[in-house]
Amino acid sequence: MAEILNVEGLSAGYGPLRVLHDLDLVINSGERVGIVGLNGHGKTTLFYAIAGLTGWQRGSIVLDGKQIGRTRSQGPGRYTHKIVRQGLAIMPQGDEIFNGLTVEEHLDSGAFTSEAWRSRKQRKERVLDIFEPLRKLMKTPVGRLSGGERRMVSIGRGLMTDAKLYLADEPSLGLAPKIGLSVMEALLSIELEDSAMLIAEQNVALLERRVDRVIGMHAGKLKGEASAASRQSLAV
Amino acid sequence: MDISFILVNAIVVACIYGLVAVAISITWSSLGLINLGYGFVFSFAGFGAYLFDRMVSDAPILVAMAGILTGALGGLIICLLVFIPLHDKPHFTTRGMIATLAISLIGSQALLMQFGPRPKNLPELFGYWQVKLGDIVITSDKIGVVVCSILMLAIVVFWMRGSRRGLEIRAMMMNPHAASIVGIGVRSTGFYVMAMTGAMAGLAAVLLSQTYYIGPFSGITPLIKGVSIALLGGLGSVQGAVIAAVILGLAEALTSRLLGGQYVLMTQFLLIITILIIRPRGISGLLDKAREQ
Repeated sequence: MAEILNVEGLSAGYGPLRVLHDLDLVINSGERVGIVGLNGHGKTTLFYAIAGLTGWQRGSIVLDGKQIGRTRSQGPGRYTHKIVRQGLAIMPQGDEIFNGLTVEEHLDSGAFTSEAWRSRKQRKERVLDIFEPLRKLMKTPVGRLSGGERRMVSIGRGLMTDAKLYLADEPSLGLAPKIGLSVMEALLSIELEDSAMLIAEQNVALLERRVDRVIGMHAGKLKGEASAASRQSLAV
Repeated sequence: MDISFILVNAIVVACIYGLVAVAISITWSSLGLINLGYGFVFSFAGFGAYLFDRMVSDAPILVAMAGILTGALGGLIICLLVFIPLHDKPHFTTRGMIATLAISLIGSQALLMQFGPRPKNLPELFGYWQVKLGDIVITSDKIGVVVCSILMLAIVVFWMRGSRRGLEIRAMMMNPHAASIVGIGVRSTGFYVMAMTGAMAGLAAVLLSQTYYIGPFSGITPLIKGVSIALLGGLGSVQGAVIAAVILGLAEALTSRLLGGQYVLMTQFLLIITILIIRPRGISGLLDKAREQ
């Protein structure tokens, strides 16, 4: 079990606003970790800080043995593509998608390493096996899809490369409960092998007994942790 | 002087300005930069082709290539001077616009210092022949301009549709934030975009020199026309820009025929204002089928 992500003393925010307060977080390979917290308590900011997309940040972030955290005061997104290329797959909140591209082009755009680009046909097949409804929508512009389908596209895009760490930000947000559940199930069915997955979610019930650990997040700090075993005993 | 002649002229003008407009449109929507530096790139590419013609060879295709390559080089210069240092700073849109305008002004003055105010001519690239269509006579340069610009536009569109870099550029045009999330580098894409659009401006300069001449300030008019066409087409849409180029080309030809050349800019801006009042997103607002965010 190797360490995929090791965050130490991470603070981040936007302008005068400080959202994250000296966070520490370790995630090992093969782990699926849920982060639970209310709106506005820093779940998305934590993901953005890992990707270098916050307004400013400081602290150490080690992804798969490489330091990707840096102290910076401006320039959100300047290094994001480099961080992403080191093995980060982000499935962002609120469907950060390209409205005019078709589903197929969209999945292609997720295959950004040259190796993934060469094998993009097989990779697309793999994504379509998980998200069967997308198969007949391959030539449709993403802007015309329903909310659930868009979420599938944005998650599918994240699955197009061999990432070390998958960050899924509120995958069930804004979806009908049934569809939200199926999206979550698809996420949980992904084979992790030597990678890891971090899922932010407001709905604890969706994560319960399905992930290895659940961590609470409150006011920019990580609070309380429950492993799968203890969760199970609580639930029973 | 009849309607067919006006039409032919309108199409020729539309082709040249349309190239610049599409370049402006692509730069704006993918990089968020209103690049007023094309005025300079335009003259720069013209002088590049002129020098190549004088010093190396006067083979038409090579002269045109020289213009295109100097145009691409000019685009890269603007990318290095403006886009790279400014793109992640606050108020990038305003600062970028001012900086590119400065480059355009300084660059034109530098060209004036170097080459003097006297207009320069390029050789006739398309030879001297003409085609008779009924009672209209179309000269070789007009056909050449139309064919070359459509060819260039087709290459650009196919490249953007088919290649991986094109996919990256289109992704960035639609959602720059999401583009960085999927590992598309803003700065490296900036280089491709600026080189490509610079090449388009370079070709436009070579083509315009077939009708007019090359001078340090010959890029100003195409820049103004290009920006207004891009606005009318709805910034960021290639089809919109092409349609707007035809509309404005027609308006220009008709005005200069019916009212006189001095009214061209007036009717043009009246047309733009009217259309933007009715369709605030320009012509592309009519074409767009995808749902807005």
